[in-house]
Amino acid sequence: MATERKASVTWQGDLMRGQGTVESVTSGVLGPLEVDWANRAEDAQGKTSPEELIAAAHAACFAMALSNVLAKEGHAPERLETSSTVTFVPGTGITKSALTVKGSVPGLDEDGFRQAAEEAKENCPVSGALKGNVELELDARLA
Amino acid sequence: MPRVERQAEVSWEGNLARGEGRISVPSGVFSGAAYSAATRIAQRPETTSPEELLAAAHAGCFAMSLAGELTRAGTPPERLDVTAQVTLDEVPGQGHLIVRSAISARARVPGADEASFSQVVADADAGCTFSALIRASAEVQVDATLEGGE
Repeated sequence: MATERKASVTWQGDLMRGQGTVESVTSGVLGPLEVDWANRAEDAQGKTSPEELIAAAHAACFAMALSNVLAKEGHAPERLETSSTVTFVPGTGITKSALTVKGSVPGLDEDGFRQAAEEAKENCPVSGALKGNVELELDARLA
Repeated sequence: MPRVERQAEVSWEGNLARGEGRISVPSGVFSGAAYSAATRIAQRPETTSPEELLAAAHAGCFAMSLAGELTRAGTPPERLDVTAQVTLDEVPGQGHLIVRSAISARARVPGADEASFSQVVADADAGCTFSALIRASAEVQVDATLEGGE
């Protein structure tokens, strides 16, 4: 069955000096979150940005997918620490998401872990949505 | 323009079905936000999910893009209300995919007329980096209304 998630944003003013707010999301756990152009395209000074939210979505999706790949192979992880770094080039767009993972996985060697991580990187739904337009990198190590 | 990098970190414990993860972002606007497989697909979720974060990213991106295009057209907005709804679905033979993001926008724009607004919305969609990104693999719908349009 399809799952839908919604987020609502208000924006006031022009792009350069205006200000936006992620007012609410389906789960209710996030928001209000302020966004503006300076924090997005220059230094992040305590405000989130679309790219930070995409990074959070990708790191979260990748961790789940990897837990599934590992468990199917009989190596359910004790702990996975993932990150995504999303690169945004103003005027060009989002060019890269670099994934990292450190895993505590009893009974699995580095090669096996890297293969599982590669499979998760290829198949998690957020990778699927980004793939084709964006370079996906992966650095996977056992803890 | 310089490139900008934004990072986020997740810790996950356990397998997919019974495990749980926590999401943190460097801006600090949320930290340790919990999520799990069960709540990701729940009809009344009580935790966030990758799709919810993408919806927030898309709505934020589109709002900025529309503000930029309206300003470029000489009619900066007073207020934009933008909603994004992201759909995750199981596609036969392909597993779970993000199949659609539907944008709904209401705009209060002094001096704008319907004809020019339609063009500006199309430009905003084309210029929204996240719309461009996911259009390769998912459907992007945009429904925009000019409030008090002339």
